[in-house]
Amino acid sequence: MSTPVLEIKDLHVEIEGKAILKGLTLTVKGGEVHAIMGPNGTGKTSLAQTLMGHPHYTVTSGQVTLDGQDILAMRTDQRARAGLFLAMQYPSEISGVTTANFLRTAINSLRGEGNQIPLKEFRDRLDETMKFLEMDPKFSNRYLNEGFSGGEKKRNEILQMLMLKPRMAVLDEIDSGLDIDAIKVVAKGVKSLNGPEFGSLVITHYQRILSYLKPDFVHIMMDGRVVKSGDYQLAEELESKGYEWVRAEFSTPL
Amino acid sequence: MDTIAETNTMAPLEQFILDHYGQEPEWLLARRRRYGSLYLELPLPVRQRTPLKNRKLDRIPVLVSQPVTDISPNSSMFNLVTVNGRSVHATLPESATAQGVVLLSLREALRQSPELVQEALGSVVDDTVDKFQALNAALWQDGLFLYIPPRVNLTEPITISHYATADATAVLPRTLMILDRESRATVNEQYVSEAGLDKCLWSCATEIILHDAAVLQYGAIQQLSASAEAFVRRAARIGRDARIDWNIGEFGAGMVVSEHLSVLDQPGGQTYSTTVFFGSRSQHQDYTATARHVAPHTASNMTARGVMKDSARSVFTGVTDIKKGAVGSDGRQKEKILMLSDTSRADAIPSLLIEENDVFAAHAASAGPIDAHAVFYLMGRGLSETEAVRLIVHGFLAPVIDTIPVGALRDEVWAQVERKILE
Ligand SMILES: Nc1ncnc2c1ncn2[C@@H]1O[C@H](COP(=O)(O)OP(=O)(O)OP(=O)(O)O)[C@@H](O)[C@H]1O
Ligand SMILES: [Mg+2]
Repeated sequence: MSTPVLEIKDLHVEIEGKAILKGLTLTVKGGEVHAIMGPNGTGKTSLAQTLMGHPHYTVTSGQVTLDGQDILAMRTDQRARAGLFLAMQYPSEISGVTTANFLRTAINSLRGEGNQIPLKEFRDRLDETMKFLEMDPKFSNRYLNEGFSGGEKKRNEILQMLMLKPRMAVLDEIDSGLDIDAIKVVAKGVKSLNGPEFGSLVITHYQRILSYLKPDFVHIMMDGRVVKSGDYQLAEELESKGYEWVRAEFSTPL
Repeated sequence: MDTIAETNTMAPLEQFILDHYGQEPEWLLARRRRYGSLYLELPLPVRQRTPLKNRKLDRIPVLVSQPVTDISPNSSMFNLVTVNGRSVHATLPESATAQGVVLLSLREALRQSPELVQEALGSVVDDTVDKFQALNAALWQDGLFLYIPPRVNLTEPITISHYATADATAVLPRTLMILDRESRATVNEQYVSEAGLDKCLWSCATEIILHDAAVLQYGAIQQLSASAEAFVRRAARIGRDARIDWNIGEFGAGMVVSEHLSVLDQPGGQTYSTTVFFGSRSQHQDYTATARHVAPHTASNMTARGVMKDSARSVFTGVTDIKKGAVGSDGRQKEKILMLSDTSRADAIPSLLIEENDVFAAHAASAGPIDAHAVFYLMGRGLSETEAVRLIVHGFLAPVIDTIPVGALRDEVWAQVERKILE
């Protein structure tokens, strides 16, 4: 498999007629870890959801391609099959569907007709991955996210990511609501995929997870745009100085 | 060839009854005439959410006395089959016959046990309830009679298929079941029809009498074609410490009005009811489940789960009716409906009529759209929209369908759900 490239060019997005993303440009390549930080309500989740094709968000202009393919023209499931994955800030609860059953259906959807995963192989992989993420095996037989704590849901997102092996992952606040040990586990999960065939875009408010993931690039988003990019140093700078100085710099007329 | 019942005035209707049912015992003929005249008197029923106007019912072609051949699919799998309202075969396993179980066409039962039939017929279902029911009482063609002797525990389910051909116009079968003291049985009725161009009227009645401590697992699956308009009435009288479990799957028919009633008039009687329905296209479905608590310490628990798509319309009314004197009774009901489209409509209406203080009654009802975020979430993992919806629908129905104790029925309900999702 080749190195994936996600290219976002001058993306404008509206929700219910209100402009949310206002010309966002960003490129993520395989082998790279990008972090996005920014104050509440600046459009980080909107970006993530738009990349995955959430029906509430309307793209008014701009382009998004994965390996040169226009993903904005694809349905959400096609994007997933193209290798895109979104760990959601607020994962849905699906009553009556066990995590295991769901995961097997998802893997088989990605693999396509006639190439279904043998049950034993699936079971083994699931057991192994859950052990790696220090998850109680009971979770696989519970209904998907139903009654899970915030942290359990986040861990379940990472479980799904490891089972589905995407090529490009967007992780929206995967660290929120996690205790320190859980953050380590989640970071370990993400790092296990790192390599030239996997790129990631990590949305977070906190420096702790970045200290484990060591992003190659850190972007600051404000008012629907990337207003500043840098390396890991930028995250540390934000941690100590907050957003005010960026805001000041950003609001100065260019 | 059809035989046309001129059903606009009494004289031709009476003549029709005489011509086609003349061989029957006098009491039954008198009964048919009585309901024939009631049928003529009654207006079309007025149902709050189901308009029944503009139905032409003055000439009802009814197949009555011509010989009928068994052309229903897989008919050998059933213990009894009716075709266009008339019974074509009845078979029981040797073991059941040896224990004294009786399964006959209703007409044959009239010949063999006239007193039993006379006593039971119309004693549970209210044939005066509306015009369509009166029509069934006046002109029912045939049906079945089942009797389980005291203490017999019938382990094999009894399966019944009601089938109608494309050219059928009025299908009016009746089912009469008597479970004697402490007996146990499982009975599944299935309703199937060929797709027809013209509307076909079904008016079906199922009457159940449970003597003391009898237990019945009753299952029904309705998968009539869109050309069918069905009126289905089921009622059970539940003896002391007796129990019925209703498991009803409603999937077919262009328009259906279906009711099942449990009359708990002896202490300790129990009724559990599960209704699963799935409306699609322009189906109109109107269901009522009623538990009537008359005696003390009776219990009812009614559950309904429905899925609606396209521009289908459903009404589910659950009635917990606790009469004065039914002290210590416990009546519960829960309805939940999942809407897959903006253009479908559903009403879940719990109705508690409680005349007694010393009782427990509870209800919960909800109808809501499928969670668009959940569909997105699942599609984000690679599932197609249909697969995502299917998984959510499965998850929604599983807690109810998986409680159906009869495996074959449970599988059939799932199969129908599957068919409706893909439809
Ligand atoms: N359904 C909606 N209808 C209207 N406005 C919305 C809707 N969803 C989000 N918004 C608005 O879009 C803007 C961007 O929200 P978004 O969730 O993308 O921010 P965020 O950067 O992820 O914030 P946070 O850090 O709090 O998660 C906010 O002003 C929010 O109020
Ligand atoms: Mg967010």
